[in-house]
Amino acid sequence: METGQQKGLEGPELTNSAAGSEGEGGGRLEACSLRIKGLRGRPVQGALGVVLFVLLSLLALRVEALFPVIPAGLRRLLGASPSTDLINIALVVYSFSALILILSRMMGGDLRYRGWVHLGYMGGFFLFYLYAGALKENFWAIFAAGITIFALEYFNLWTACQEEIRREEKVLRFLSAQEKPGEGD
Amino acid sequence: MLRTLAAKAVVPVALTVTGFVVVCCSLLYGYIRADMVSTAVRQEIGLADTIVKSTRYAMLKADRETLRQTINDIGSQQGVEHVRVFNKKGLVMFSADPREIGALVDKETEGCSECHSGETPALRLGPMEQARNFHNARGEEVLAITAPIYNEAGCAEASCHFHPEGNRVLGTLDIGLSQHELRGNLLNLRSRMVIFCAMVLVLTVGGVLALLLRNVFLPLYRLRGYVRSAALDGSGEHFFSGGAEEVEEIGGHVRDLSASLFRAREELVAARQRIAALEKRLGE
Repeated sequence: METGQQKGLEGPELTNSAAGSEGEGGGRLEACSLRIKGLRGRPVQGALGVVLFVLLSLLALRVEALFPVIPAGLRRLLGASPSTDLINIALVVYSFSALILILSRMMGGDLRYRGWVHLGYMGGFFLFYLYAGALKENFWAIFAAGITIFALEYFNLWTACQEEIRREEKVLRFLSAQEKPGEGD
Repeated sequence: MLRTLAAKAVVPVALTVTGFVVVCCSLLYGYIRADMVSTAVRQEIGLADTIVKSTRYAMLKADRETLRQTINDIGSQQGVEHVRVFNKKGLVMFSADPREIGALVDKETEGCSECHSGETPALRLGPMEQARNFHNARGEEVLAITAPIYNEAGCAEASCHFHPEGNRVLGTLDIGLSQHELRGNLLNLRSRMVIFCAMVLVLTVGGVLALLLRNVFLPLYRLRGYVRSAALDGSGEHFFSGGAEEVEEIGGHVRDLSASLFRAREELVAARQRIAALEKRLGE
C-alpha cells in the first residue's frame, strides 16, 4: 500500500492530501495547516484509550472488595457461568486475533483509532471472570492482554499520524513555495 | 528516537510478542497453580484416610492411649500444623496440641460450614470441598482437610462399646499441613516465568534487530553514503554493493541517473562554450 511518504511533491499527487481540496492558494494552505493540526491532536485518542483501560483495570481490581457476592437473584437470572477454561481460551484467541489485526492495519498506515471497541471487550472479560469467580487469579492475564493491545493501538496511531504530518508539511512547503516564487525548496 | 526506522520495526514486534507471552504465561501459571493445589489436596485427603484407617482398630477397641499417641506422633511431623479428632457434637477428643482437647469446634467456621450449612448435615463432600485454606497464628498458610469417620458395621456391633446404627458419622479427623513449601515452589515458578518472558523479549528484539540491521538498515545506510558521494560524481564507474538485491538495484538506478545527468551537464557546458565562441566570431 502506498503511503504518503512514498509520494513525491509533484502536482497530481497532491490531490490525496489537503492540498487537493477545493479552492486556490490561501485556501489550500489553510486546509493543509488545519489537517496538520488535526493530525497532531489525533494520538491523544490513543493515550486516552490507555488511560481508560488502566482505570477500568483498577475498578476491576477493586470490584470484588466493593461487591463481594453476586446476588443470588442475578445468578438465577443469568444461569451458570462458562467455565474458566473456556474464558481463558476466549481471551487467548481474542488477544491473538486483535494483535494480528493491529499489525495488519499498521502495514496500511491506518489513521483511524479502533481502541474503543477493545475497551468493551476487555470490560466483558473482566465481567465474565468476575461472574465465574476467577477474576483475582486471572487479573494480570487480562491486564497484560489489554495493555499490549492499547499500547500497540496507540503506537500505530502515533506512527501513522507522524508520517502523515511529515507528508502534509512537505506539501505545505511546496504550496508556500508556489505562493511566493523565488523562495521555498 | 521512536521516529527511526529501527524503532518503528522493533517496537511493535517486541510489544506484541512480549505482551502475548505474558498473557499466556499468566494463564499457564494459573493452570499450574490450580493443578499443584489440587494435587496437594488429593495427597492430604489420602493422608487423612490413611490416618483414619490406621487408627480404626484403636477406635474399635476404644484404645484411647494408642490413639492419643498416634495423633501426637503424626502432629510432631514436620509440616503438620494440626491434627485433631472431634466427635459429632464438635468436642475435640484427641489433638496433637493438648490445649485443644475438650474444646468445642464452632460449626459456623470454615471447614465445618460446608457440611453444616443446611438443616441436616451433609454426609459426603467432594475432594475440594473438604479442603480449606487459612493463615495460622504465625501467619503461615495452612491447607486443612476434614475427613469424616463413618460408622461401620464393626462399630455398631462391637461388644466393648457400640454406636447406634443410625449414626452415620461418628466424628471427624481434621488435619492441617503447612503450605510453605508449595508457596515456595509457586514463587520459584513465577520467577522462572518472568525470566523466561525477559529472555523471549531479548531474543525477539535482538533477533529482529539483527536481521533488519543485516538485510535492511546496513544496505540503506550504505546506499545513503553511496548516493552522497560516489554516485554524484557522475562518472558511472562506482559500483554499489549493499548486501541486498533490491537496494543494489536502487543503487544502480541512482548511478545511471547521475551518469546521464553528468553527461547532460557536460553537453550543456560544451554547447554554451560553442555558443559563446560563435557569438565571439560574429561580433568580430
